[in-house]
Amino acid sequence: MTTTVTPSTFTMVEYDAGVITGIADELADKVGLTGVDIEIEIDETVPLGRNRLESVDPVHIWVESGAFEDAKKFRQFSEVNAADVLGRHLMRAADRRSDAFGNPADDGDLSLEHRAAWDIYTVGRLTRLGYPANRQRWLYDFRNRHGFTDVTDRIFDELWNGTDLTWDRVSALSDEAAASNSGKLNRKPA
Amino acid sequence: MKKLISPEELGRDDRFERADMMDRIADPRNATPPEDSKRGRPGRLTPDRADASDSARALMHGIFVGEIQALEGAGRTCYDFEVGKGDDDVPFELKLDMARQCWDEARHCEISVKLSDWMGTGIGEFSENAFLFQAACNPDPVLRLTGVNRALEGLAIDVFNTMREFGDLAGDPVLEFCEDWMLADEVTHVKMGSDWLRKLTVNDKERQKKALEFQKVVDKLFSFGGLRGEEDDNPIQLARRFRELAGFDDEEMEEIAELSREARAEVEERGRLAREANVQSGV
Repeated sequence: MTTTVTPSTFTMVEYDAGVITGIADELADKVGLTGVDIEIEIDETVPLGRNRLESVDPVHIWVESGAFEDAKKFRQFSEVNAADVLGRHLMRAADRRSDAFGNPADDGDLSLEHRAAWDIYTVGRLTRLGYPANRQRWLYDFRNRHGFTDVTDRIFDELWNGTDLTWDRVSALSDEAAASNSGKLNRKPA
Repeated sequence: MKKLISPEELGRDDRFERADMMDRIADPRNATPPEDSKRGRPGRLTPDRADASDSARALMHGIFVGEIQALEGAGRTCYDFEVGKGDDDVPFELKLDMARQCWDEARHCEISVKLSDWMGTGIGEFSENAFLFQAACNPDPVLRLTGVNRALEGLAIDVFNTMREFGDLAGDPVLEFCEDWMLADEVTHVKMGSDWLRKLTVNDKERQKKALEFQKVVDKLFSFGGLRGEEDDNPIQLARRFRELAGFDDEEMEEIAELSREARAEVEERGRLAREANVQSGV
């Protein structure tokens, strides 16, 4: 199993491919992602922070450079932000490669609600592996997708504290939260 | 106490990190037009965006530090000028308006901190730049008031309205309610700027012209190269209805929209030149 970071040398941001590889390898080990190559493609020409899991064999993660950037210092690397973004994608890649988890739709076809629910389940597990996360930030994200209701908050807790959930369960919880929302959301895929 | 302080002298604790605008301007990534990215332009800030909540959190933090600087700016305007009839003086009633504005801005700071808690953002999580306060350093009270109360507080109307609509679409009652209340204050602040500009320059059209020119400079600067504007993909939208309530006429709003388009075109041109330079230097 190898991890490849592209580009190997950065000219526009002060990132180190070796450091990124180290973070990814440690995460992959902790989330149980073994026996597969990992490719991390960074578009260093764009300061935005969009990112995506593009395939699971090999695991291919695409990010814009802002995703790994220190929010306080232009063009500087943030290990915390890199671990946050890579951790979620690697955990989701491990889920996708697991027969027990089930078969979610391709990322491009996932609704924003389902994607958010999976993120909460993912970040909750990452915190228990020792990667810090701001719970309120993720609660806000989940509420934005599912509505600001008590049902949403209860389901957030179930996802955040969840272990061994299946995709059917994650998506059912998301649907239940969304159904409790009387707001005007009409989401399209991310 | 010292008068006319510089942005470098503003007091902050160690949670805050000051961003140097020159670093941002010199960022070589500015050479990449957003449409060249694999995902295109990020677009208008709505809950439908994949990065919606994080973008809203970052904007909320920008509002928070902006409110601190607005408080500092209005406070300095209260203090920096003496009561009198000279060009460097101001009427006592203007100081009273600025004192009222300080009260509003202090309340906005507290609301912004609580909204940041609500959205999961820590104080100082993002960098702060001080160029809002720089507009509040003009030594001419009329130019300062025009730059701050008409240009910057006008931008605040656009930002608060964008966030209010975001809260409405997301069904976030806390965000929508808070932004609506702060928006009402900002409309009042802009109206105060418009009223004082008219009163203080009623017999000095040359000074009024200079003040409006200064406002244009600030308006263009605070269009952030296309962040604020009227195109569909401008994240912050020009809030014409609320600006109208604050005393802007159609011609003035059209001018701001045009300044935003100019600012965007200039940034794109700078990007093009930077790309050419990169090609020539082999980057």
